[in-house]
Amino acid sequence: MTDEERISYLAGDHAGAPGSLDPADAAELDELRALLADPAMWEVPGQHLEDTVVAAVTGAASRETGDERSDPVASARGAAGGELARRARRRSRRSVVAWAAGAVAAAAIAIAIGVTSGTGTHATTFSAALSGTSLAPGATGQATLTQTTAGWRVTLHVSGLPRLDNGRFYQAWLKNAAGILVPIGTFNQSGDVTLWSGVPPTQYPTITVTRQQANGNPASSGQRVLIGHAHSTS
Amino acid sequence: MADPLLSRFAAGDEDAVRTVYRAYGRLVFAVAYKVLGDRGLAEEATQQAFLQAWQAAASFEPSKELGPWLATIARRAAIDVHRREARHAHSPLEDADPAAPGLVSLPPSMDRIYDAWQVRQALSELSPDEANLVRLQHMEGLTQSQIAERLNIPVGTVKSRSFRAHRRLAGLLGHLRGDDPADSAPRQPRIGTGGQR
Repeated sequence: MTDEERISYLAGDHAGAPGSLDPADAAELDELRALLADPAMWEVPGQHLEDTVVAAVTGAASRETGDERSDPVASARGAAGGELARRARRRSRRSVVAWAAGAVAAAAIAIAIGVTSGTGTHATTFSAALSGTSLAPGATGQATLTQTTAGWRVTLHVSGLPRLDNGRFYQAWLKNAAGILVPIGTFNQSGDVTLWSGVPPTQYPTITVTRQQANGNPASSGQRVLIGHAHSTS
Repeated sequence: MADPLLSRFAAGDEDAVRTVYRAYGRLVFAVAYKVLGDRGLAEEATQQAFLQAWQAAASFEPSKELGPWLATIARRAAIDVHRREARHAHSPLEDADPAAPGLVSLPPSMDRIYDAWQVRQALSELSPDEANLVRLQHMEGLTQSQIAERLNIPVGTVKSRSFRAHRRLAGLLGHLRGDDPADSAPRQPRIGTGGQR
């Protein structure tokens, strides 16, 4: 396969990538396409963050003593102020060594927030962080997809979406790399909702939420308000 | 730590901290956001990551690349924030419904984090128009016709610009290889291992 065919496939022009596409190439490019759809690739920090970071580090350095150097969070408390420092105050004081060791341990093990009963085995789960699009920049969501014998249960916590009524509603979808959408449920406003999917997130990893109107047309309106990408957590 | 910039960073020099932030701040934030999925928490983790980097700068080995080192620190900082938030947000395990299925949360692996880091860096090297087009196509999921309508340009122009942008992106990420069988150059890594800016 030629470079042009690979680029066409990457750009989503499947007509430009005939059957000569090597499965390994396709998988590699699909992985890249999934990353490009990940909101983490596009979110940018607030402009204030540079000054906050600079103030935190220089403040910590200027206060540097033996004890303070070992506790950058305490230094940040004095330097950064505001919301970041307020959050930092909630953290327990501990040495950097212990902090780093805890983080390494966290990287090595699952952070269990629940366990299965009886069997002692974990269900297959995926999770996704959803971000608001330009239609709903303040909206966020967190989805957990759990495999059951009946299908995939999708528990979705949404915030920042105003209530829709009078035939207007939100609809959630799973989407695969080819752009095929599968509806998984509807709801009216932010909060906790439970949805169900008959297709697996392994093949349909993108989760979207659209604004819809009950007008006899079941297709997506294209008015996407939330988007995220599911990844395995089990 | 022979690098003068790093020496100044380790000393808490404001200009050096600002320089390092401007070079890596968005990438560190991207790693944190990838783990946390929340803008505010990602900003907090970014601050913690730079503090942690400052704390450990004296022990940084100059023969290594700064980017992957910061990515590792950013991931750890984000995991720490995640664990703290999880403690505040969830009921104790003993309160869990015994009929509830297992819910297990794992942070993205370091491989995935570094892939994300590389992609984020490559995107930053596209022109604003190219990056916007790629964002509309992948992040917002618009078709080429919808992009043309959004940008008020012909579909043909969208196609040509899209191809050009993705060719540049693929080149930056090492997703291209020579088709000439005589080309014995090894294939580049999956999502590149180029040095940081």
